[in-house]
Amino acid sequence: MCCSHSFDDRKPQVVAEAMNLDIIKGMKFFDPHVHMSSRTTDDYQAMADAGIVALIEPAFWLGQPRTGIDSFRDYYSSLVGWERFRSSQFGIKHYCTIGLNSREANNERLAEEVMELLPLFIYKEGVVGIGEIGFDDQTAAEDKYYRMQLELAKEAGLPIQIHTPHRDKKKGTQRSMDIAIEHGIDPKMVIIDHNNEETVKEVLDRGFWAAFTIYPFTKMGNERMVELAKLYGPERIMINSAADWGISDPLAVPKTAALMKLKGISDEDIKMITYSNAITAFAQSGQIDENDFITPLSVDQTEKFAGNTVLRGGQQPRTDKSSIIIS
Amino acid sequence: MFDYDAERFRVLITELTRSNVTEETWHWLSEKFLAPETSAVNSAFAMMPRKTGKLPIAINHELWVEIEKLKPGFTLEGWTIDRIGRLCLLLHLDPTDKEKYVKTIENLFLAAEVNELVALYSSLPLFAWPELWLMRCAEGVRSNIGLVLEAIMYKNPYPISYLDEKAWNQLILKAFFTGKDLNKISGIDERANAELASTLVDFAHERWAANRKINPHLWRLTSKFIDDDLLTDLKRLFGEGSLRDRQAAALTAYQSDSVLAKNLLKSYPELLKAIENKELNWSSLTPEE
Repeated sequence: MCCSHSFDDRKPQVVAEAMNLDIIKGMKFFDPHVHMSSRTTDDYQAMADAGIVALIEPAFWLGQPRTGIDSFRDYYSSLVGWERFRSSQFGIKHYCTIGLNSREANNERLAEEVMELLPLFIYKEGVVGIGEIGFDDQTAAEDKYYRMQLELAKEAGLPIQIHTPHRDKKKGTQRSMDIAIEHGIDPKMVIIDHNNEETVKEVLDRGFWAAFTIYPFTKMGNERMVELAKLYGPERIMINSAADWGISDPLAVPKTAALMKLKGISDEDIKMITYSNAITAFAQSGQIDENDFITPLSVDQTEKFAGNTVLRGGQQPRTDKSSIIIS
Repeated sequence: MFDYDAERFRVLITELTRSNVTEETWHWLSEKFLAPETSAVNSAFAMMPRKTGKLPIAINHELWVEIEKLKPGFTLEGWTIDRIGRLCLLLHLDPTDKEKYVKTIENLFLAAEVNELVALYSSLPLFAWPELWLMRCAEGVRSNIGLVLEAIMYKNPYPISYLDEKAWNQLILKAFFTGKDLNKISGIDERANAELASTLVDFAHERWAANRKINPHLWRLTSKFIDDDLLTDLKRLFGEGSLRDRQAAALTAYQSDSVLAKNLLKSYPELLKAIENKELNWSSLTPEE
């Protein structure tokens, strides 16, 4: 989930590294947090070109509050339906996490109805966790629905993807972990998201997964991320783009991998941080089969071309962007 | 309530499902048959692949033949165990409470992901109260997801029996727009109609004007409605078209009752001969070159 940007945050970059992803050519990436519903087909093509083979789209706040239960149903349904199909057309395997986000937990009347709706979605194929849930303002209502969803995750045996607040981040992060432990959740089932230098140590020490969002201006920059990777190593650490309707970058994962490589981090460590750790964490749902994206097949392709991977990398026709002719 | 022997059908699908799942899964699933509350059906429907896996069904020839005989036009081709498990669950819903029955299934449609939609739409011809699923079927045709469209269009006897002309024509137009294999659509030739033929001809002219290819199967739906304009189109196909276009024009003329079209075909004796020798037919014509 993003926040509103203030212009003060938008410091111009002093030194621009030329964008060159050649050094990570052939590497595969998994972006475990990206809101594709808010992105374009150009993004999908660029992501596939940069080596992203699979992603997780957490259910989130759409930028303005929903006013009725049907909007939630249609949104969840699009995460397992249309968006999944759209992604498959570019050769990217699409998973999602389903949950009631913290902001909208504050509309209690609606939140009650959403809680009734969730069981209809969390058992569906490719739903790899409950998420993104947690705290925003840290209100009593947020606390209530966070706890209810922890119980739901426990019952369904699903991992939990936790959004940590922008404001009062350190305490909000600690509180999220305390409550999870209180509910008897195993820390290895919990991915704490949007970490920074201030929160990561405690998250790792307590046995949780630590995810970092590489997001311009408001969250982590990737130079800071490289330093953290050097300091903490690759164990239980993963990065994501959390790209959404704000100024964000769906190529944050491959770009950061390239920067890590430039700064001398080993290929094995890069692979753990940008690919395998996310799979290990979310595959605890029983809903991720790595074979699905090692030899990518779109939904249509499995039917039509039965095992033939000639169309590797997606079947959508490309437009020639270097030409002014549109045919 | 049903337009086929649903009781016998349910027995056979139940037998088929049971033979494709473990004892443990069977125990889990058969318990859901008795559950009166909708929430149990909802979660069992969603959870099916976790319990059954997604392998293709194993079935002996006799059972296959008997099942397909009970519902002409229906096929088990391409069915996986999770899909048959879902159908089995749906066939055990009590259809006597019409309102509840329809609402339960309709709610599954509303929250369905792709594989669930495929299971639901390919089961359309097997539901109780067949006349009540017309809007649902027409809604499915509006989908842009290939597998969903194919579940409705390919070897599914529901649309041909229940869609009205307008909805049927939408289905066929959608099939052309989305590049579907027309040979797999049940009833395609039987339900040809003047309205559809005229829309398809407009579509063909539009494609010609834009210098784009036309699926030659389009012409088969015009053969009963040959007028002067269509005759001009056939001449154009014979004169300027690719081999496939000329084959399509020949088949169209051959099937038509128009003397002028039949005379036109006589000018292309090698194509006429190929049709008469059964070397050339619509199935031997592929949409893409």
